[in-house]
Amino acid sequence: MRQILTAATFAALCVFHPIGASADEATEQAIEARHGFYNMLAINMATLAGMAKGDIAYDEAAASRAAANIEALTHYDLPSLFIAGTASNEAEDSAAKPDIWNNMDDFRTKFGGLVEAATGASEAVKGGQDKVGPVVGKLGAACKACHDSYREKS
Amino acid sequence: MAGTDPRPRPVREAVVWDPLLRVFHWSLAFFVILGWCLGQFGPAKMTLHFWCGYVVAGLLIFRLVWGFIGPPEARFAQFLRGPGAVSGYLRGVLMREPSYWPGHNPLGALSVIAMLAVLAAQVTSGLISDPDDYINVGPLASYVAPATRSKAVGWHEFGANLVLVLVLLHVAVILFYRFWKREDLVRPMLTGRKRVRDR
Repeated sequence: MRQILTAATFAALCVFHPIGASADEATEQAIEARHGFYNMLAINMATLAGMAKGDIAYDEAAASRAAANIEALTHYDLPSLFIAGTASNEAEDSAAKPDIWNNMDDFRTKFGGLVEAATGASEAVKGGQDKVGPVVGKLGAACKACHDSYREKS
Repeated sequence: MAGTDPRPRPVREAVVWDPLLRVFHWSLAFFVILGWCLGQFGPAKMTLHFWCGYVVAGLLIFRLVWGFIGPPEARFAQFLRGPGAVSGYLRGVLMREPSYWPGHNPLGALSVIAMLAVLAAQVTSGLISDPDDYINVGPLASYVAPATRSKAVGWHEFGANLVLVLVLLHVAVILFYRFWKREDLVRPMLTGRKRVRDR
């Protein structure tokens, strides 16, 4: 009887309390989501940067769409994906410096810089190729400000 | 009987740094310091920092060529000496008297090589860097693997610290010579002329 109870308890524990697995899943998911976010940002930034440099022919609709995508992305609260256990020294495949968690307010301020740079971008890029450069400059400066402090480079 | 003469040879004034080498030295100092400050404190769009890097690259190429075809004091073969010469120089380095050394002394030669090598590495890592901000990208970044582009940014940051250490060491040693050994090494780099003792 005792053995049966023990076995049942153990079985129940395994089913209802998958030790460790849930935390791992959450961190993996958060890191994947971050990378997805940055990939979407990169695709649209590449369009705008290409037009600013003249590598891609200026197309007002395409420029505005890319800028609108970036604006929309910045309405997602990215810092909420920087959950505990997802720093570069805790998880593989993470380039997030542990410093982020010591300076979460500043990290959020840096992300706020991107939100601010993106605000109105979809309108700002309209009206000619020369309108794209300043927008890319503002967005890029926001990327750089955060990368300089919080992105692992190795 | 010069070899057995116990008296030290006389000190005389001689030209040790040719005009091009002096222009090279002060240009390098100017553009390295400007580039370093722009990198650290400059605007997000790093166009001027990039131009400093290109100028430094050109200066380094000049110095490399000058090290083979320049006047004797500028030639690597002339001032690069073995460990014996370095330790021989080290023995007298703390003495409270001018070195009267004509050109780069054996120890200083190592610091010249360290400075040139670190700056060359710094220029290289800068050229292939891509910090993923869409406004600054090294002109040669597209020729290396994506992982290398991103790592190069880290090497460039580390290199900036090395450059700072070498420059501070350089200035500290100049001050050591000026105030401990009572030998002014700045004036010769301006006028080209230095009090030397033949050896």
